[in-house]
Amino acid sequence: MTQEHQPILTLQAVRKSYRGRAALQGISLQLFPGELLGFFGPNGAGKTTMIRCICGLLKPDEGSISLRIPDSFRGSRASRPGLVPQNLAVYPDLTVQQNLEVFGRLEGVRGAALQQRIDEVLDWSALRDRRRSLARTLSGGMQRRLNIACSVLHRPAVLLLDEPTVGVDPQSRERIYAMMQELTAAGTAVLLTTHQLEEVETRCDRIVVMDHGQIVADGRLPQLVASSLGLPHRVELSFQHACTVELRDFEFDEQRLTAVCRLASMQQLPGVLEVLQRLPEPPQAINVRSFGLQDVFLALTGRSLRE
Amino acid sequence: MILTFLRIACLRLRNNPLELLLVFVMPVLFFSIFAMIFSQGIAAGTEKPVRLGLLLPEGNVAAAELQSELRQNSSLICTDLGVLPTESEGRERVILEAQNSSRYDLLLLLPTDFSTAEEARFQVRLVTDGQNAMAVAMVRAILEEYYAVQRVEGVVEKLQDAAQAAAEVAAAAERALPAVDDPEGQGSFFRDPVSPRRVFDGSGAPASVESELSPVAAEQPASVLDPPLDPAPGMSADVVDVDTEKLLTAGPEPQISVDNPQAADQQNPRIAMYAAGIAVLFLLFACTGHAATMLEEAESGTLDRILVSEAGLLQIVAGKWLGIFLMGCLQLSVMFVFAETVFRIHLWSHLDGFLVMAGCTSAATASFAMLMATLCRTRSQLQGTATVIILSMSAMGGSMIPRFVMSDRMKELGRWTFNAWALDGFQKVFWFQSPIESLRPEVTVLLGSSLVMSLATLLLSGRWRRGL
Repeated sequence: MTQEHQPILTLQAVRKSYRGRAALQGISLQLFPGELLGFFGPNGAGKTTMIRCICGLLKPDEGSISLRIPDSFRGSRASRPGLVPQNLAVYPDLTVQQNLEVFGRLEGVRGAALQQRIDEVLDWSALRDRRRSLARTLSGGMQRRLNIACSVLHRPAVLLLDEPTVGVDPQSRERIYAMMQELTAAGTAVLLTTHQLEEVETRCDRIVVMDHGQIVADGRLPQLVASSLGLPHRVELSFQHACTVELRDFEFDEQRLTAVCRLASMQQLPGVLEVLQRLPEPPQAINVRSFGLQDVFLALTGRSLRE
Repeated sequence: MILTFLRIACLRLRNNPLELLLVFVMPVLFFSIFAMIFSQGIAAGTEKPVRLGLLLPEGNVAAAELQSELRQNSSLICTDLGVLPTESEGRERVILEAQNSSRYDLLLLLPTDFSTAEEARFQVRLVTDGQNAMAVAMVRAILEEYYAVQRVEGVVEKLQDAAQAAAEVAAAAERALPAVDDPEGQGSFFRDPVSPRRVFDGSGAPASVESELSPVAAEQPASVLDPPLDPAPGMSADVVDVDTEKLLTAGPEPQISVDNPQAADQQNPRIAMYAAGIAVLFLLFACTGHAATMLEEAESGTLDRILVSEAGLLQIVAGKWLGIFLMGCLQLSVMFVFAETVFRIHLWSHLDGFLVMAGCTSAATASFAMLMATLCRTRSQLQGTATVIILSMSAMGGSMIPRFVMSDRMKELGRWTFNAWALDGFQKVFWFQSPIESLRPEVTVLLGSSLVMSLATLLLSGRWRRGL
């Protein structure tokens, strides 16, 4: 296995309880260099506890968390993960430049190296023009970018982001994902917790679903759909009167007013439509839908409300 | 609709125990504190007795009599502080210690040769720290009254002696010359115009003997007056005449000196006390407000980011504490420099004591603020709780009401507050002008409590890692 294929971060059967209430129940997870991992689950699933354990803020009751830093990160302070909290975790009464200086120093970066790194990060986050502005005067998108920028000054090998795009406009969201892509291209492993399912679907290399302190699904979207829902496409027919004809692969309801079939590929759809054309009474409506993360999520975690 | 809003208000109050506490318990608490202060102190309806410390010479009868008299006075609470040392240095040390204890409004010192006899000077030294001017006036009046009574009693005694002597002379004369008839009262042997008269003038000095002719006798022919009649055997021929008016008004004035050694070279020392009281009160608020940034950072996630960084929890807590401590020192310095500039509190001549007290007070308040921030869950919770505690401490500790007007019980309660120890220390520095060594109790308590609270903060600081 090459170094790129060895995990940077490995969680092995991690357990953590608060006053007898299990928050993590044997979490095992791997994060690879350059990977963008989408991590999501219902509220109270244990995501925050897991991130706090990875950061070292909490000590697991059982299990282990290990970091293997690639050679490309050696010599830096990369072994400490970068943490981007959900809220604006910067000093609002300091300027952009001052915030970067303060957090850079806290990460142990000083002198000319810090100035050089601040210059790089200002360009990376497109905040150079606003370097002398107070953080509280920035727009929401700029504040989010500054929030991320303050966490990468020490070039972490692992970056943990907690809902980094909440409340930002599409342009800023695009910029934030572009920033993350630049990081992953440089080999940084990014773990992203979010409730924005469409972003996870389209942006993340891998998706992990967590519920009740356990990982209930781990893989790419097609794998998750296949494992949780079976075939990924669904064709639903609605009839005005009860259908008297038997249709292969379709399941009817009791009144025979609705029929549903699942397709492995959309390439099967023309064949289905051809059969329907031959019916004595064609369906009143045809609904074709591909399963997404929402369906996977609800299938895995249920529809009942959480905390 | 209005009832709905009322219901909302009630529900919010019910769901917020801290607000309930602030709304209902805090007023009761404050009322209790002020009621205790005023019911046992400055407005009790009855006069608060003056606490008088007595430093008397050993084996002095007059001093013992005065002591006994003072003890019977319900306006005074007299405490014997032992025998007054004869040497000056020891005497001043005893005085300073008694003043520093803050247990006495006034010290009364009598010289070794203290006497109330008419021929001696009535000398009393009162030593005040200048805080309770009423005590000085009251004790001075009591002493003057005592002296006056002693004088009147002396006069009465003399009158009685004179009357008795006159009666004896008359009886002797009667026995010697029973047939003398002098209906017009002239040429009586009682009116010997040339005989010396003994006059008691109340000067305290031995009665002077002076000669004077009475107007009546001066008009008489010498034959009438001569020869003078011999008095009865064993009796003096002198006429005993007592000038009571002169007795009561003449003579040495009582010497009641009042010393305020601490304020002797200060123009306005009381301002220093106010500066300290206000400064400590606001220092507590400022420090707590600064410590609240820890909660603010925890709420925003900034603290998590810092905890993940190279800085450890100990460094974070220590860094915050240091920031609050330095801010406290600066705040106290600004306050006292202003007081020096405007009111001349003689800061520069007490700089060492000020620096010691400012440092200790700031350390204690910084630790208190950090502990409060660690114990509270939210910023608003901290502000509410801290307000209650700080105002209570300030009321009991002397920042709002001078401690010298409080009862001993309230003073003892005040000892559980920072304010009291800090103010006592500043009082020693600026009021009593005590040497820096005398600040040892205040320094020990303030630094000790600071250490204890800092350790408690460190022990509880693990909560920052667990999140709010």
